[in-house]
Amino acid sequence: MQSKWDIGEPEKPTINSETEQLKSELLTLNMGPQHPATHGVLRVEIWTDSEIVAHAIPHLGYLHRCMEKHAENLDYRGIIPFVDRLDYLASMSMEWGYVMAVEKMLGTEVPRRAELLRILTAELQRIASHLMAFGTYALDLGAFTPFLYAFEEREKILRLFEEVSGARLLYNYIWIGGVWNDWTDDQIARVSSFVDVMEQEAKKYHELVSLNKIFVERTSNVGVLTVEDCFTYGATGPVLRGSGYKWDLRKNKPYSLYSELEFDVPVGDGERGVVGDCWNRYIVRMREVVESIKIIRQVIDKLEPGPVMGKVPKIIKLPKGEVYVRSEAPRGEIGFHLVSEGNDSKTPYRLKVKSPCFTHTSMLPHMAPGQMVADFVASIGSIDIVLGEVDR
Amino acid sequence: MSTTVHESSSVKEYFKALYDGIYTTAKGMWITFRYVWAVKPASIEYPEVREVLPERARMRLFNDAQNCISCTQCAMACPVDCIYIASEKLPEGAEIKKTSNGQPIRLKLTQFTIDTSLCCYCGLCTTVCPTECLTHSHDYEFSQYTIDAMKYDYLAPDVVAWRDRIVKA
Amino acid sequence: MLNVDFNKLASLINANVQGANATVNNAEDAKFDSSITVEASKIFAVCEFLKTNKEMPFNSLQCISGVDWVEFMEVCYMVAHFDTTAPREFILKVKVTDRVAPTVDSVVKVWAAANYQEREVYDMFGIKFNNHPDMRRILCPDDWQGWPLRKDYVAQKDYNGMAVYPDNKMNFEDREFIVRQDMIKKAQLAASSN
Repeated sequence: MQSKWDIGEPEKPTINSETEQLKSELLTLNMGPQHPATHGVLRVEIWTDSEIVAHAIPHLGYLHRCMEKHAENLDYRGIIPFVDRLDYLASMSMEWGYVMAVEKMLGTEVPRRAELLRILTAELQRIASHLMAFGTYALDLGAFTPFLYAFEEREKILRLFEEVSGARLLYNYIWIGGVWNDWTDDQIARVSSFVDVMEQEAKKYHELVSLNKIFVERTSNVGVLTVEDCFTYGATGPVLRGSGYKWDLRKNKPYSLYSELEFDVPVGDGERGVVGDCWNRYIVRMREVVESIKIIRQVIDKLEPGPVMGKVPKIIKLPKGEVYVRSEAPRGEIGFHLVSEGNDSKTPYRLKVKSPCFTHTSMLPHMAPGQMVADFVASIGSIDIVLGEVDR
Repeated sequence: MSTTVHESSSVKEYFKALYDGIYTTAKGMWITFRYVWAVKPASIEYPEVREVLPERARMRLFNDAQNCISCTQCAMACPVDCIYIASEKLPEGAEIKKTSNGQPIRLKLTQFTIDTSLCCYCGLCTTVCPTECLTHSHDYEFSQYTIDAMKYDYLAPDVVAWRDRIVKA
Repeated sequence: MLNVDFNKLASLINANVQGANATVNNAEDAKFDSSITVEASKIFAVCEFLKTNKEMPFNSLQCISGVDWVEFMEVCYMVAHFDTTAPREFILKVKVTDRVAPTVDSVVKVWAAANYQEREVYDMFGIKFNNHPDMRRILCPDDWQGWPLRKDYVAQKDYNGMAVYPDNKMNFEDREFIVRQDMIKKAQLAASSN
């Protein structure tokens, strides 16, 4: 009996017509703004051919606060809390870069103790930032233990900073002309004992994570960036050093008192994997922690009592001119282009921040094609981006 | 052009990789195994145990209104414009009080409001206060249900009552 | 600014790129940075020359920044050479006088770093770059109106139905407290004198 649901006998397709009718296209995935492995609100539009990434297009701007426009209405001292919030995991380095630009135009003389304290806090900040990079990178790849080990050491640094400056993450400590508060001898002694502990911990992390076969297999030979790539994309910092080029602003263009200190510049040498891959960028950061420890010990020996603030006018007005100052932040070279129009103005005319993470994010579309999605996660973690700096 | 490098493998490399995998994993697990009994826990069990903040910690602002001379330096120094001050001249023949560090109070403070939802806890206002009436207290648990409740009027009696707890001597 | 003899570089550019008109802007004070200004129409040729010449090569572009001086806009290229034996860096400037639809040639084919940097200059100032592979906004949302870092910029009132400056967050009552108190007092005086 024929019911109304009966559609009859379906047409049997032949094998040839079926395969001709099969379409294959790229699948669009959103590694969206909320993601545990993108180190912030980064949205990457990934076009995948099964598991292999064909294109990756980052979409930025989810944390854009237009700090450069705000800076045009604030006086020079009031910009320092805004500059803190750029790379919030390395605030001291951001403040130092900006303050160097203003001091270059003002021509102030910074007392020696203030310079040494700036180096001390910047290197402690470098250790804290690299610990964060190490912990979250291992977490991205699925290792849950090193994250908390790194954070325990980082907590000690943040407590020290809280005692000296008053805040744990956004310090407002390095001021134009010097630093805000002085360190007591007791705090310096605690830095010294922390640094001894940190040396042992760095060895522990090396055994636990860096040489672990699974970690090495995940990160070596992945995301290889040649030195030519780094030059043409403008990469600096651990990304450039991981590709084998020995360029560090603290050695090649020394600022402050770095020329008096002895330390080495670690470079990716291909101990595991290929020079320029994720493992080498990671090992550059771990070795930089050891170098920072050397610098801190030398600074503590050189410290002598003295003033921590130089002579700065009460209301800062800069003459007409511009300056572009770069300094070595943990993530690369941070540059401040400060333009002043003179005319008795209390605010800058234009403050442009050259952010290293912004430049490194532009390398993601270059690194992605041909990688698997899991390798892409490892690549993002290895260039160590912080969205506060990318989006400003 | 792919940025992933694929290495060739052989039987010897297969067994070496197997050995490496077992050896490095065992080394790592020995490091973590020691944490079972040999390490003191680093966590502070909040909220039963509260950490003692260092003296310079920059938490919620407190203004001691009876010592304020209405100079508006804090409002001018604030980078986010969260301090709103209004004052008026004292009436004729009124007594001129002095602040705790000896400065005469020549203006009557009629409004001192801080919008703590805008405050960025930078500390620039406390540095420029000439009488040190504006200080950072150690209160960090002050979340409210509405944004309007984050505006603190430092002339209101319930806020002034915090003075005993916060201002020392 | 690092290790650059400006006069020599300017004469090199003028000798090798026709019509570049490289002029040195000497800073008034030795602490500030001098720079070189070239013609906007020749920027691609100048950048290619800077990268490929043998005498003073520059292998990297660090940053592109824009400045809005109200009569004209300036695009500043921070060009650098990474070489541990002979590093150098300087600022190369280009003047753009059109404010309605300004355009400059893109230098993406010379240094790939220009990709995101030029997109940011477009986003903030409205300067379009010819031959750029992907000319669209980068930091602001794609349908934002206006060029934020221009000096005559006024933010739009609402964006997709959301108020850009909502009244309840502007704290008008607190800012105008003293004005309202004065008005209240005047009204009380007027009422009591009647």
